[in-house]
This record gives sequence, C-alpha cells and structure tokens, in this order.
Amino acid sequence: MIAPPSVLTLGLLLCWGTVVGLDLASVPQGLLARPLVAASVAGWFLGDVEAGLRVGALLELFALDVLPVGASRYPEYGPASIGAVLLANALPAPAGMGVAALLGLGLALFAGWTLDWLRHANARHVHRLADALHTGSPAVIRRLQYAGLGRDTLRSLGVTTLAMLSALLIAGWWGPSTPLPPQLTPVMVGVGAAAALTGALRTAGTGRRLAWLGVGVAAGLALVFTVAA
Amino acid sequence: MRGRGRALLRLLAVQGAWNYERMTGIGMGYAAEPMLEDLQATSPARHLEATVRSAEFFNCHPYLAGLALGASVRAEHEGVPGAQIQRLRTALCSPLGALGDQVFWAGLVPIVICLALVTIALGGGGLTLVAAVLSYNVIRMVVTRWALVTGLGAGMQVGTAISASWLPRAAARIAAPAGFAAGAAVPLVAAWLLAPATMPWIMAAVASAVAALALFRWGGARWTSPRVALLFAVVAFLWTRVVP
Repeated sequence: MIAPPSVLTLGLLLCWGTVVGLDLASVPQGLLARPLVAASVAGWFLGDVEAGLRVGALLELFALDVLPVGASRYPEYGPASIGAVLLANALPAPAGMGVAALLGLGLALFAGWTLDWLRHANARHVHRLADALHTGSPAVIRRLQYAGLGRDTLRSLGVTTLAMLSALLIAGWWGPSTPLPPQLTPVMVGVGAAAALTGALRTAGTGRRLAWLGVGVAAGLALVFTVAA
Repeated sequence: MRGRGRALLRLLAVQGAWNYERMTGIGMGYAAEPMLEDLQATSPARHLEATVRSAEFFNCHPYLAGLALGASVRAEHEGVPGAQIQRLRTALCSPLGALGDQVFWAGLVPIVICLALVTIALGGGGLTLVAAVLSYNVIRMVVTRWALVTGLGAGMQVGTAISASWLPRAAARIAAPAGFAAGAAVPLVAAWLLAPATMPWIMAAVASAVAALALFRWGGARWTSPRVALLFAVVAFLWTRVVP
C-alpha cells in the first residue's frame, strides 16, 4: 500500500478533473478529456506516470468505442479516469488495474448521465429567457453562455469529487486482508480490446477503411510477436 | 469588420451552453457578438435582428462552426434578407456536422490517440502524449481559424468554398489511416497491458474479448462496452469465489 496523497495533490487532481470535464464539450475540446491524457496527467500528479498511462490506455480502449456525435448520450471518461488512477495508485499492480478500471467505467456511466442533466438544465434556462432572447439583447446571450459554462464547471467539479471520494473510500476499504480478484485485469483488457475493435468496425463499414483496419490488426499482431520474441 | 480575434476565442467555447432547445445556437450567438458590434452604429435595427438570428437553433461540428458563423456574419453586414441567412444556417448544419465527424471524431482523433497508444506500448513514455496533444491542438486552432476566415471571405457562397476546400478530400482520405491506426493499436496495447503475460491471463483476456465481441454483435444496443465490462467483472468476482 502507498501512503495517501497529500492535500495539495488532491487539490491538483480536483482542478485537473474540472478542466478535463469542461474540455469534453464546453471548452476547448482539445483532447484533454481523453482518458489516456486525463489519466496520465493524474498519474504524473501522483508521482506514478506508469500507473496513469496504463489505466488511461485501458480506459482509452473503451473510449475508442464512443463517437460523440450530435445529441447522442455517451459515457464521460475524463473525470472518471482521475478516480481510477487514484485507486490504481493505492492498490498493488497489476491486479489493482482491473479494479481501478472497473471503478472508472462505473463513474464514466454516471458522468454521462450528468451530461444529459446539464443539457436539460441549459435548455430550461434558454426556455425561461426565450422572450428576452427575441429582443436581440447580446447581454441575454452572454448570460446564457456564462451560465452554461458555470453549470458545466460545477458538474465537472462534482463528478471529479465523487470520483476521488469513491477511489479513496475503496482504497481504504480494500485492506491487505482482502485479496484482489486476479482475473479482473485481463477481463477488463479483453472487453476493452473488443470495445475498441467494435468501434473501429462500426466506423469502418465495408469499404477501404475495413481493409486498412485488417492490415492494421495484422501489423499490430506482428509487432506483438516481434517484441515478444 | 472588427472583433474577429474575440470571435475566434469565443468559438473555442461554442458548445458552452449546448442544450436540447437550440443546441449550439447560444454559443454561435456569443461568438458572433463581437463581429456584429459594427452594425450597432450603422444600423441598430439590423443589429437587433442579426443578434436574434445568431442565437437561433444551430448544430454542427464545433471545429467547423466558424464556417457558418463567418458566412452568416458577412451576410448580415451585406444586408442579405434574414430569411436567406436562416436558410443558409439550416443548410449548413448537416454537411458541417457530417464532415467534421468524419474528419475529426472518426479520423484525426483515433489517429492521434492510437499512434500515441502504439508509441507508449512500444516504450515511448509520457512525452509522446505531450507531443500528440500539442500537435492535435495546433491543428485544431489552425482549422478553427481557417473556418472563420473562409466563412467571412465566402459569405453566402460558403457552400462552394467548402466544396472546393480540403475538407471533402480529407473526409474521403482520412478513413484508411484511422482504420490502420486503430487496428494496430488494439493488439499492441492489450499485450502491453497484460505484460508480463501469463497463460491464465492471456486465456482470460482472449475469452473475455471473444464473448464481448459476440455480445456487441448479437446482443443488441443495450450491451454497451461499460455494461458488458461490469457484467464480466461480476462473473470474474464470482469465479474467484468458486474456483480457488
């Protein structure tokens, strides 16, 4: 077991999670919300970049299944990744990675629901100010925009807080006497790989991209065997 | 026309008030405001109408919103009838959404992320990721600026400008490298995550992958990847209890 992170580190993680949550849809949509990025930076804050990269890569396999188009609903992996890395940092590797990823997936589903809540809350606000919007006042538009950004900031902060609290509670509960289920990590890796392939197949369709996907899988397998040899 | 720089910055938050009522409409109105300020002095009535129109329903890929924003703002300054501007905005929603999704969400993002994953799995480390994120954001900013400038330059002819631009060609060509990158990344990352691979772990991973692929293929839409993972985790926990 590793010593719990300092208050400063927890504060940094909270700020980072809020930024990551905002990045997904509101601003600036610059890849920060991808689990690989969010988790790796969180791992760096915790002094364990390797754990961050591994948890991030595992959750990224699941995220590759998601195409965030239009008004579709999807899990939000960014703040969830931070909770997952916090837990992975506290549990023994490599079995802890599976438990951490499991927490990340649950949190990602919950965070996805909060996105839906945010969109409804923004819509209700727009509805309330519909008459004022028709007057052509830029101040009303600004008010709605800032309120939307404020709501997303609070949402991201809340989701990150929940993610971190969950991780700390589970890490505290999972004492040395409670063994980690060893099969969980390979099961998560297997399902994650299947999810990423399913996502790639879905967008590939039947055309040239499907052939290139096949070539890519063959090249990846060849590299795996070359490195293993 | 003043306010282009502020409009560009505001475009980065075009989805800041995304909602089921007007989708990115409020964000578009917010981004348009600095470029419509000139109208307030020359034609206050037109300014009011343009402001109302700018925040009406709109939805497209956020990186390409500048094309519609620039085109509609230029049209407002040129005194194009409001109904025509509304039709232009409506007409741009689907193509800009589809092109953006193809080029960025299904193209560039998987390429950048999968290349980063491959490099990390081969021992590249965290700096690879920093380079990937920086490169991606440079492209994102260049595209956002290009979209606004092109929209402002083309006005009501923005459809022709889009057709003649790099966008449709990129949408057609980016699919192959994205497929290749995703295909290469999956086995490499899986092997890296399982390392040092033991036979029970490899068997558990392969069995889970095959069962998950079958559920995704034939199980219906309710079997999303997190749900399947949660179900399999329960099975793994029970397995731990049953098999010593």
